[in-house]
Amino acid sequence: MYIDKRRLYHLDWYLICNGLALIAVGLFNLISAARSMDSGPYSLLMKQVFAFGIGVVGVALIVSYDYRVIASYSKYFYGTTLLLIIVVLILGTIAGGAKRWLNIAGVAFQPSELMKPVMILLLSTILHQEKREGEPLGLRDILLPLALVLVPCVLILKQPDLGTAVVILLSCFSVLWFVGLKKSTYVFLLGVTAAALPVFWKYLMKPYQKMRILSLLNPDLDPSGFGYHSIQAKIAVGSGGFLGKGYLNGTQHKLHFIPEHHTDFIFTVFGEEWGFIGSVVLFLLFISFVLRCLKISQSASDEVGATIAFGIASIVFIQFTINILMAINLAPVVGIPLPFISYGGSSLISSLIGAGLVLNVNMRRYMF
Amino acid sequence: MEPISDGKYKWCKRVVLLALIVLCMRLFDLQILKVDEMRRLSEQNRVRVKKILAPRGMIYDRKGKVVADTRPSFNLYLIREDIRDFNQTVDGLARLLELDREDIITRLKEARDYPSSFPVKIESDLNKDQVAKVETNKFYLPGVTIQIEPKRNYPYGTMLAHVLGYVSEISSEELAAKENKRYAPGDYTGKFGLEKAYEPYLRGIDGEQRVEVDATGREVRVLDTKEPIAGNSLHLNIDMDLQAAVEKAFEGKKGGCVVTDPRSGGVLVLLSHPAFDPNQLSSGATKDYWAKIATDKTHPLQNRVTQGRFPPGSTFKPVLALKGLEKGIINENSTFSCHGGFFYGNRVFKCWRKEGHGSIAVHRGIVESCDVFFYNLGLKLGIDNIHEMAETIGLTKVTGIDLPGEKAGMVPSTAWKLKTYGEKWYEGETVSVSIGQGAVWLTPMQLQQLTSFIANEGVTFKPQIVNKIVSPQGKVIKVYEPAMLTNAKLNKQAIAIVKDGMKGVVNEPRGTAYASRLASVSISGKTGTAQSASLGAGKGDHAWFVAFAPSDDPVLSMAILIEFGGHGASMSAPIAKIVTESYFKEQKEIKSAQLRPN
Repeated sequence: MYIDKRRLYHLDWYLICNGLALIAVGLFNLISAARSMDSGPYSLLMKQVFAFGIGVVGVALIVSYDYRVIASYSKYFYGTTLLLIIVVLILGTIAGGAKRWLNIAGVAFQPSELMKPVMILLLSTILHQEKREGEPLGLRDILLPLALVLVPCVLILKQPDLGTAVVILLSCFSVLWFVGLKKSTYVFLLGVTAAALPVFWKYLMKPYQKMRILSLLNPDLDPSGFGYHSIQAKIAVGSGGFLGKGYLNGTQHKLHFIPEHHTDFIFTVFGEEWGFIGSVVLFLLFISFVLRCLKISQSASDEVGATIAFGIASIVFIQFTINILMAINLAPVVGIPLPFISYGGSSLISSLIGAGLVLNVNMRRYMF
Repeated sequence: MEPISDGKYKWCKRVVLLALIVLCMRLFDLQILKVDEMRRLSEQNRVRVKKILAPRGMIYDRKGKVVADTRPSFNLYLIREDIRDFNQTVDGLARLLELDREDIITRLKEARDYPSSFPVKIESDLNKDQVAKVETNKFYLPGVTIQIEPKRNYPYGTMLAHVLGYVSEISSEELAAKENKRYAPGDYTGKFGLEKAYEPYLRGIDGEQRVEVDATGREVRVLDTKEPIAGNSLHLNIDMDLQAAVEKAFEGKKGGCVVTDPRSGGVLVLLSHPAFDPNQLSSGATKDYWAKIATDKTHPLQNRVTQGRFPPGSTFKPVLALKGLEKGIINENSTFSCHGGFFYGNRVFKCWRKEGHGSIAVHRGIVESCDVFFYNLGLKLGIDNIHEMAETIGLTKVTGIDLPGEKAGMVPSTAWKLKTYGEKWYEGETVSVSIGQGAVWLTPMQLQQLTSFIANEGVTFKPQIVNKIVSPQGKVIKVYEPAMLTNAKLNKQAIAIVKDGMKGVVNEPRGTAYASRLASVSISGKTGTAQSASLGAGKGDHAWFVAFAPSDDPVLSMAILIEFGGHGASMSAPIAKIVTESYFKEQKEIKSAQLRPN
């Protein structure tokens, strides 16, 4: 592993500090969220810090190789991750009614999380292999990429993990848009999506997933069941007020009103304790992170690098937006974590891998 | 080089900005415009998590008789959040049920770290009148609620009390201990006996119910329920029929008795008298009963079998006989002469038989329990040989029975005396030890181990009360296989002589327990009449009898102690007869039932 010392000067310290700030907020918030648990606040914290350590090693490895070299191996990463997802489906431990985790030497690992950055890496590579100079992609060019996206999505839906599948689909569509398609291709894709939705609703979605969407439209449909959590989450955030109740002073999650308050509903803990001011600061941290990724994308030395940075930005942005919308009762409850903040080692490592790729693109923008 | 058109980045920025605006607007709406409503909703968030107590596991004897189960009981709780006027509720409740106001406040204080919606238990097991009183006055007592919960019940009352133990509310000290994190104030926990030893198995997992309540704390509807999981049940080796027979024989007496199967260590009978009523100790209104039990001079809370240390008296003699024969210090025909007393130093050690036994060898020494024979043998052996044998048998440590708080006995040695008192051992002390007096202290449990050791010719097993643990679904979780403790290689002839001597104690005309012989089954045993140190010679000796039966193929091994009971031969030996008789009578009935054609 050799790394040119000059390249270290091109590490983007803005992005690094921004990311570390988000992770720090996440760790402090986790102490508060986990303090009412049987295992005490520090058991989860230690696991999260451990995951962070692994993620940092991952980032160091990623930035030591040119992203173009990494991209040239993307199909192997994709194949391996896909295989792991299949293994999870077959062997995976049943946790929370869903098969998402793989136990490796006692450490639970969620391969579908890893698929998020790997998918971006793969798409960035193969789309630009197909692409001809100055010409948008036609339907024929994207058939293979589409198939490569849909296969893991269907498998992940089977787990069932609607949230991760949605994130991968949305970010892949943004990447397609970013690379550029022919007008006729957009129309075709739109048409297929419109036709697929009813089929999806009828045959692929689980009853509880449907109930979550229906109860968002009409919370009184089942206020004690599926609408209940959304309402409780909204109450928790709202009761924070302008300044918040103060760190460690939140009450709502302690009484077990909100399920998953340390993972997908982590924002309810933060919003209640830090109020409007704290929440806006947190939003700005996210937005600044996303904009920085876009800036790096814009100044990348080639299209592959630009697409990778854009794709990672889209993943962070999509997860952040849907997660917060869910916590304030504007989106249906799907399992999407808040990047860097939610408890969950796989999610944190996946986000760090994404950040590593963006740093890599930035470091190698001057050489060609 | 800018490969992607700037237009796309502009669009990106617009989308990001839009999202930020939407999110901030919604937050502004919730956290600033609607903050009062949300605060009110959060404070009045009247969803409560109610605990559903898991029933404790059942306890069965070896034939499936229920010796501990649960029954429904009415428990009174206070929910602080619902109390409007503290004095009205607390004073009202105290007056209504004649409770101590300070007690209620202490209990509320114990739960102060819990949310104000946490129900604090004030009184358990209300009777019908009390329930009726509370229900009719409920309107004036906001915050008071009655819940029906499972309560431990012991159908046999005081019988087997020391084995089963009892449960009661966890104390604040226990609650503070780290291993009790899963407990909340008001939870029950095993405090004694099997209830304590097998607490993790018996406890079960409490369920939860999320209930929406209105502003006065009344339940409006149940949101969801997580059913409790009952505790695992224990299947004991104890035989309640045999236990009942022994309990009957012990009526009005103090002492203890343990019967095991020497082939496995399974405990068939374990009794300690006087006993306590675990139902009363497990119930709420027990202050008076507790005070009575705790201050009782006869110590009903002590398990005499595992915690009471007594001088073993003559029941200790087989230890010396075995060591003497093993080491070749004596043989079958070596004799000592007994004239009713033994001179050592300037003291006379008497034999219990004033007229003496004449010239006597080991067999009749055991059969007639000649003290002088063993004074001589003890001196020849020396204290360290006696200690060594006791150690081989396992008399110097606890037996490891599955009951908490077992105590180890004491068999002295020169090293022990030097270490404890800094003095050398005097031979004269060996003389007392030779007949199980002086510095020898053993529990009935340990003497039972000695009996098993002889019955099995050198092999003992860990005494075990619980045979297996079974889940509520009937799945066997754990089976306690016999665990061998000692496997001593003994001289075949030596052990045969000792066994023969013990057979003679019951079956030969001059044997000390000849009166307790049975025609159908041959019992082997040894009597003991031990002087209690506190009262001195003659005043209330402890009556001992240790026995195994049948003599040639033992399936029962026992130790019986009657405190201040007098002579072992007349007081304790008849109980061994009762045990053996009832055991074999039943075996015979089972056999004949099996043989009868249908």
